[in-house]
Amino acid sequence: MAEQPAIEPMHQFLIHKIWDGPVFQLGGLTVDMSITNSVASMIAGAVILVLFFAMTAKGQIVPNRAQALAEGLYNIVDRVLVTPIIGPAGKPYIPYLFTLFMVILVLNLMGVVLAIGNLGGLSLTFTVTSQLAVTATLAVLTFFSVFFLGFIKHGPKFLGLFAPGGMPLPLLIFMVPIEMISYFVRPVTLAMRLFGNMLGGHVVISLFGSFVVALGLVALSGGLASLAIVPSVLSFGMIVGLTGLELVVAILQAFVFTALATVYLNEVVNFGHGH
Amino acid sequence: MAMQTEDHTAAAGPMPAAPGHETAAVGAHEGATPAGEHAEGGLPQFDFSWWPGQIAWFLIIFFVVLAFMRLFAVPKVGGTIDAREGKIAGDIADARRMKDEADAQAQVAAAEAAQARAAAQRVGAEARAKAQAEIAARLAEEEAKLAATGAEAEARIAKAREAAMSNVAGIAADTAAAIVQKLTGKSATAAELAAAKG
Repeated sequence: MAEQPAIEPMHQFLIHKIWDGPVFQLGGLTVDMSITNSVASMIAGAVILVLFFAMTAKGQIVPNRAQALAEGLYNIVDRVLVTPIIGPAGKPYIPYLFTLFMVILVLNLMGVVLAIGNLGGLSLTFTVTSQLAVTATLAVLTFFSVFFLGFIKHGPKFLGLFAPGGMPLPLLIFMVPIEMISYFVRPVTLAMRLFGNMLGGHVVISLFGSFVVALGLVALSGGLASLAIVPSVLSFGMIVGLTGLELVVAILQAFVFTALATVYLNEVVNFGHGH
Repeated sequence: MAMQTEDHTAAAGPMPAAPGHETAAVGAHEGATPAGEHAEGGLPQFDFSWWPGQIAWFLIIFFVVLAFMRLFAVPKVGGTIDAREGKIAGDIADARRMKDEADAQAQVAAAEAAQARAAAQRVGAEARAKAQAEIAARLAEEEAKLAATGAEAEARIAKAREAAMSNVAGIAADTAAAIVQKLTGKSATAAELAAAKG
């Protein structure tokens, strides 16, 4: 029983260096540009994306399967989100939203599809979107891009966003702070939603994975303990089921993040005539 | 949470070799406490010493992908979809136009056919009328000819009968003369014969 492996569901989120990179100071911050497992996964995801679109975007009128897949992904952003929510004025923002969607989708899927290798302690891959640093970067970048776009397009009038029209002054005193809080909490919810979704499922899968091994080892000791094979096998079934669920979550969260970014962008693009 | 980034990374100082052992985490996450040796700090995500490098790399990679999407993938994929829709719309418009053209041609053809049928009927009616007129004329002519021949023949018969009737008197006189001569041995005179006939 001494060799029973420790249950370390958080181990998969540990960052470690692969190659040393330059370290420099930036206003009191130590920025270590080393290639870590997290950075390596980001680069792999970017390479997958670039290769995928370089190979599939052939521009044929009658598409093959790969091109149809690329166009289907594009249409999720264009025809499902941007055109119905923003309208034709949303066209210029499609590249950003599509990049957002594809980057989150690929990094999420890499975390699920290749995560099987992590169960045995191997670090074949790394779920980049389970890092709060990354989801917060995406959320803050998206939120403040949209916020500053509002000022660029509408000037100080954009602050009217916090004062709902037709509101008497005494109510306005309460409404403006509430509106401001609900507005500026958006990047936090964006970051936490993606982070939490990518974290939870992976932890649970990892836990069930350690059950499979631990209970399997108990069963190997023979006798009555052999019955432990039953929960071991059940845990394995749970991993299979949860992995399927995680695939859905991976796709859904990429969609949700992009959909919310589109909704926020709509407030800016159609400012004044949407309310 | 993000506001604490600076404090922690500043406190962390130079990069440790094994960040898992560092206790930089926030301490608010005892909920899931794994039993391993890396578990002192709670979630590894809250080890802020890794944040600046991760954020910097992520921004670089994100903007590279954004540039690729902006310059290549979106124009290409979106352009293909638009081109396809344009082609389908154009093809449908072409087909509709051709159908209209065909309909118009069919109408012209139908009108022409109706005209031709009317013309043919008129020609047929004319020909029939002409033939009937000709037949009537010929019939009348033949009838007139027949009538004339009949009248001529009747006249001839009447003449012949007259002639024959006049001959009968001569034959009777001759016969009477011959009978008289045979019976009496002497011939009767013409005056006697004429008287006897009376």
